[in-house]
Amino acid sequence: MRLPRTHSIAQIEGITVFRRGLSTRADEFNSLISEVKSKKHLSEKDSVKPLSGTSFVAKDNIAFPQGYTTCASKALSNYRSPFKATVIQSLEDAGSDLIGKANLDEFGMGSSNVESYFGAVINPAFANEKRIAGGSSGGSAAAVRSEASTFALGTDTGGSVRLPAAYTGVIGFKPTYGRVSRWGVIPYAQTLDTVGILARDIGVVKQVFNAIDQHDEKDVTSIPEEIRSDWSGLPKLADMKNTTVGVPEEFLVEELSGYSRQVWYDTLNSLRKLGCTIKQVNIPQIEKSLSAYYTIVSAEAASNLSRYDGVRYGFNSTDKPGTVHDIISRNRSSSFGQEVQRRIILGNYTLSSESGDHYLKATEVRKMLVKELNQVFSTQHMLFSDDKPSSSGCDVLISPTYTSIPCTLDEYHNMNEENFLNNYINDILTVPASLAGVPAISVPYQKQNTPEAKIPEAIQIIAQHGNDEFLLDFTKELMMRF
Amino acid sequence: MGVVRRLLHTTRVIRARVKGLELDPAYQMTCGLEIHTQLKTRHKLFSLSQNRFDSTPNSNISYFDCGLPGTIPKLNPEALLLSLKAAVAMNCEIATMSSFDRKHYFYPDQPLGYQITQQFRPIAKEGEIVLRRDLDGISEEYKRIRIKQIQLEQDTGKTLYDSFDGVIRIDLNRANIPLIEVVTEPDFGSLHEIKVFVKKYQTLVRYLNICSGDMENGAIRIDVNISVNGGNRVEIKNLGSTSEIQAALESEYERQVGLLKEGESVEQETRGLRGDKTVRLRSKEDALDYRYFPDSELPLIRLDPGITSQIRNTIPDLPDDMILKLSSAPYSLELRHAKFLVQNQEILDYYMKLFDIVVNQHGKEVKYVNNWLIHEYLGAFNKLNILMDLTFIPPETLGNIVTLVAEKEISTASAKQLVLNILSDPSDSGVSITELIEKYDLGQIKGVSSDEIDNAVAELCSCIAEENPDVIKKIRKGKKKAIKHLIGLAMKESQGKVDSTLIENHFLAIINDHKNNGE
Repeated sequence: MRLPRTHSIAQIEGITVFRRGLSTRADEFNSLISEVKSKKHLSEKDSVKPLSGTSFVAKDNIAFPQGYTTCASKALSNYRSPFKATVIQSLEDAGSDLIGKANLDEFGMGSSNVESYFGAVINPAFANEKRIAGGSSGGSAAAVRSEASTFALGTDTGGSVRLPAAYTGVIGFKPTYGRVSRWGVIPYAQTLDTVGILARDIGVVKQVFNAIDQHDEKDVTSIPEEIRSDWSGLPKLADMKNTTVGVPEEFLVEELSGYSRQVWYDTLNSLRKLGCTIKQVNIPQIEKSLSAYYTIVSAEAASNLSRYDGVRYGFNSTDKPGTVHDIISRNRSSSFGQEVQRRIILGNYTLSSESGDHYLKATEVRKMLVKELNQVFSTQHMLFSDDKPSSSGCDVLISPTYTSIPCTLDEYHNMNEENFLNNYINDILTVPASLAGVPAISVPYQKQNTPEAKIPEAIQIIAQHGNDEFLLDFTKELMMRF
Repeated sequence: MGVVRRLLHTTRVIRARVKGLELDPAYQMTCGLEIHTQLKTRHKLFSLSQNRFDSTPNSNISYFDCGLPGTIPKLNPEALLLSLKAAVAMNCEIATMSSFDRKHYFYPDQPLGYQITQQFRPIAKEGEIVLRRDLDGISEEYKRIRIKQIQLEQDTGKTLYDSFDGVIRIDLNRANIPLIEVVTEPDFGSLHEIKVFVKKYQTLVRYLNICSGDMENGAIRIDVNISVNGGNRVEIKNLGSTSEIQAALESEYERQVGLLKEGESVEQETRGLRGDKTVRLRSKEDALDYRYFPDSELPLIRLDPGITSQIRNTIPDLPDDMILKLSSAPYSLELRHAKFLVQNQEILDYYMKLFDIVVNQHGKEVKYVNNWLIHEYLGAFNKLNILMDLTFIPPETLGNIVTLVAEKEISTASAKQLVLNILSDPSDSGVSITELIEKYDLGQIKGVSSDEIDNAVAELCSCIAEENPDVIKKIRKGKKKAIKHLIGLAMKESQGKVDSTLIENHFLAIINDHKNNGE
């Protein structure tokens, strides 16, 4: 095998051509990176399958053999995957039709969807101004909000499905880690990466989840059948009156805007009216979550992205001569965006022998967090069966999804220049569920009988490991009462 | 063929080479090894592509092997089993919980940007290989080489530099082939011990079918750590043969001793072998930081505490036990032949079958088995200069021939001729022995009285004696072995149909007669 020569510009332009071919509505928000030509004829009657007649877009870090799978990175701007992700296959088997590959923050690193080689996603929820859609699954959220597709697949590493869903006013569901196959999902931080679902309707979310909630023997982190069958014995939602809702005190952080506080308060009020028991709980590890999270994701990202050296596939800088290390270093430096490079450097520092054992310490925080959640929830964590649940425990936890409202693109750039850490703080509400691998959902909150709010409001509901069905049923009930 | 040559010439070759390195007693050498051993599995370590070394470049690769994004490794249980066999054979303590880690460095033949290995929790620890004076020819009675640990890991691809057209070619067939890295403690006191150890290790992994054991195609590659008088440790990477190990150690020992004699200190560094000298690859300051961390895509390996005895029950006698068994009754092989058989599993299997036929079924003496397999059958390949292939004469057929010889149904010489005939004419291999004896007219002379044979032989022998007066003279002067020459001539003349003892007796009579006459 020769070191591949630089791929011609024509191939990269091919993507632009693709993007020009998109419908104007989708293009308006820059939600898609490429379009997938539908394999289905409109005349085809295929109504027996559960998702027949629906269409979806998949975040462009999910492998699909037609067209490109770019991760919104210059490094993979010419990359064609020879195989299909299991999750896309499952949806096609269920009768749904993939119509596009959605924009994202490069490799999923970001919470604004500005850090994309293909440009920022514009939030469709705001009529006359350019605000961020949230990230990293911003393209998926924008496509769903603008009704380009019935639903979308995103990936959630620390809130990447929930935050853009909240910012665009749609539902964003991150299932329990290990329920949905990661085969073909390009890793950012593999111990956290979870395929999630974005949709406007909770019924659609449930149906899509049913289609992709399967063990996959190609993914060793996929939860085995034995544990899945144990889950079928978990309590179902009987009556909202009998449910206990926990309010983690640690989520009441200084950065939480008055706006978000109000949404939280209103929701709890509604729940109280429905007869739910509201309970304040303490989960001290939440305070350590953010730093543990950034330690883990940057270390795993630095490792996972080591393979993008331009040798076998992907962007290859030039025909300029040099040692093999010159070539690899040139390829990587010129094809990763600023934020990706920042996290790789941070991750490599974390992993370096002189920096100490940050990664292992962060893993300890995760273990402690799971332990604390086990003391708070009413059911058992199937993977940690030595912790016994408390009978008076909570069925779900509730918090806002975001600390501050989506900023404009200009504000984003100014803030980022000032201090890029600003962008990391917004993840504080979403990372604990990711670290613990438990299911969490962001739902748009809209009071009954009020005109559509100018700014999408959202709350997050978190449930115990494996209690995805309960969470979705609870969400459905709650949304009906809004 | 190579195997046979090795058998016949081994001892001489090794003795000729052993002297090389003379250790200066004032400069004590300490040495340890890291042995990379490719496991003989059907599939690769974390994918389903085939584990073969002899294919066209980049033909045995899967999506995972070339590091495509979105692929996930899955441990091949066969590789785990072979690594556990190795651990048990080296008397290691098997970890009931072990795990995989990522070792990061960039190189074009490293498709993931990291190697999956076992840095923090290896599969096995604290074992040993014992060298013995009686079996391995070392000076002490026993020498224990401690095994520090065994780790299961991936091999990398191969980078081929073409200096002619300046192109680097990468072959990923080797990428993700399972390896065990066996790390010894620095217990070696001499070059001889290292060579004996490597040979013994090779035999062990071959015998247990863990590895092909072939150093020539890279199935075993060795890193050597050497220090002198407790100074800094120098690592010499990637040695692919015993002669490379020898060259590396000799040159490095001399270099380090030279530095110490000059009053300089030895730097901790990594070196490689170029020609017969070691050269610096990188110093301690340039040492790579591999940024090890646990590979969370691979689950922990949890093993039953009883795994060691379970594995032990699946493996046969270890090579040393087998050598001792073969060199005592009822097999009674010479030690070097016993070792040779243990080093060559296929021949050992053949031997056991032949032994069963000749000794157990036909009640003949074991010397027929030992002599006919080692000297006559294997020797015949060498004599005819053809590649050894034991299927030419299956053990059943050779067993028949040997039994006929033991029963004096055919003479030794005829049987030897028969073996040579079958090897030179493959069409014979399907034909029954009785037919072949008929075909080549090799049967003992029958239907003729023994007096008549005696007279004929007496005549033949005196003719030969007259034609070779100088040989007779030699024998009379005391060179008794020269009689074999005369016997050979007589055997040739009689086409091997006459028992050689009869011929020998006649010659002895003639020689003694001459003597008597002379006195």
